[in-house]
Amino acid sequence: MRLLGIFAWSVVEDAMHRKVFYIILALTVLLIFLIPLLPSAQLGVQVDLMREAALGLTTIMAFILAIIMGATIVPRDANQRTIYNIISKPVQRWHYFMGKFLGIMLVVAFTLALIFLVMVIFVFAKFRVFDPGLLKALFTIFLEASILTSLVMMASVYLSPLVSIFLAILFYVVAHAKGDYLYSAMNNGNPVAKIGAGFLYYIFPNLERFNINETIAHGERVFRVGAVNLILLTLMAAAFSSIFLYLGVYLFSRRDL
Amino acid sequence: MAAVLRIEDLKKSYKTGRKSPRREAIDGLNLEIEAGQILGLLGPNGAGKTTTLKSVLGLVNPDSGDIWLFGNQGTSAEARKKIGFLPEQPYFELYLTPRKLLRYFGKLFGLQPAAIEARISHLLSLVGLSEEADLSLNCFSKGMLQRIGIAQALISEPEFLILDEPSSGLDPLGKIHIRGILEGLRRGGTTILISSHQLSEVEDVCDGVAIIDRGRNIASGSLDELLQSEEQYEISLGGPLPDFNAALPQSAFWKDEKKGRLNLRREDLNAALKLLMDNGGSISEVRQKRLSLEEFFTTRVERSSERTEE
Repeated sequence: MRLLGIFAWSVVEDAMHRKVFYIILALTVLLIFLIPLLPSAQLGVQVDLMREAALGLTTIMAFILAIIMGATIVPRDANQRTIYNIISKPVQRWHYFMGKFLGIMLVVAFTLALIFLVMVIFVFAKFRVFDPGLLKALFTIFLEASILTSLVMMASVYLSPLVSIFLAILFYVVAHAKGDYLYSAMNNGNPVAKIGAGFLYYIFPNLERFNINETIAHGERVFRVGAVNLILLTLMAAAFSSIFLYLGVYLFSRRDL
Repeated sequence: MAAVLRIEDLKKSYKTGRKSPRREAIDGLNLEIEAGQILGLLGPNGAGKTTTLKSVLGLVNPDSGDIWLFGNQGTSAEARKKIGFLPEQPYFELYLTPRKLLRYFGKLFGLQPAAIEARISHLLSLVGLSEEADLSLNCFSKGMLQRIGIAQALISEPEFLILDEPSSGLDPLGKIHIRGILEGLRRGGTTILISSHQLSEVEDVCDGVAIIDRGRNIASGSLDELLQSEEQYEISLGGPLPDFNAALPQSAFWKDEKKGRLNLRREDLNAALKLLMDNGGSISEVRQKRLSLEEFFTTRVERSSERTEE
């Protein structure tokens, strides 16, 4: 645990020294402030629109952060050879890999917490509405980010950051399309498409389940996201992250540095 | 004396391309370092020195063979507690300060905070960077980064120190400084393995050397032993040279034929002297010549290359 904490904290410190982190954060906050200027924001359902757009922006920001950090963290250490100084110490490779993953998740959590504060204060100042429900949406964004981070870290053990990022985006698109397009392709269409879609359908997690932005934005009037839903989503995220992390650690332990 | 490191028949090959054959980086390497010894690991570029060090530190996975550290088989994290390592041209996150960097590495070794702080002060003073303790590494020269690299390798007071090109990037004064540090560690009983291209440095600091070429140990032992094994004699002839080139012993060669200076190995000395005298040669001087490490290294590597080509 001690080593995991040391590696995780090193990621947080590292992120704090990188301009890209502040640029992503500042851009997100700025865009949230600009939402009320949207033409459709004048039409009535202002709070809902505000929340939906803000959560959408936050989702994009969190995933960009998670994917970029996950894709670059191991290759950067390997290319700069800082990894020699680390793995030659009395640490196991899985300490390093898991510690880095936890560090990225800490950065994502910290960023989401900051944005939550900005959103809550902004929504309250503008509409006099206090909305702690936003936390649920941010939590599911965090869970989905954990799956993407573990996947992209696993890929980055042997692949370049660019290829890993491409794979993560592909995974994201397919895993979100699963609910609608893959399901219908699996049940209709030609036999080859059916088999392909069926394979993807059962292999990929349904990441669309993590997307509760719309429900939360509309004040959970149609569907309420309860504790059971959140627990199930947490278990699902933990399961997929564990699989990717296990494979990532396995690949990393076999890699020559 | 107990061996701190023993490598037996180590092999490691790398893929060089999808269709190309694998390249043997280490090909049946055997090596041993005794406690308290300073061993220089020498070899031409691509000989397998760095791969050997990486194998010992668990950075690469060997194909076969055994590595024993402190009497135990394998390169476990437990064994690495007693090892300090300086990679070639070390690179660190440049936003860190020397103090923060050493604190980080101290924590990786599980040292207590008070012990880490005491060790940091000592090491920064040892490598001459006390005044720069809280400056960002961003403004450090290559030589200063090398010194910090040496400090981080010593953070845990290792029993076994592995240095890959420790003098790289250092000016002559810096090299002398590092040599002094190594002498101090030798007195303290630290076992040191130095991989270096600086033969003069190895000759000055090391008790023994191992020369590797194409992943094999082609010569190893104490410096005196090795250099004596290649001990040469120079015979200076006075007067005209008789014609007996064909009959000369195998190790003999003319260092300067015009001046009549013939070099040869110890075991061929008597035969050569007899041949010269039988042929009416006039011997003006016989001189013992000890090879420098550079000459020894060159001779052995060339011989190894010739054998491989044959």
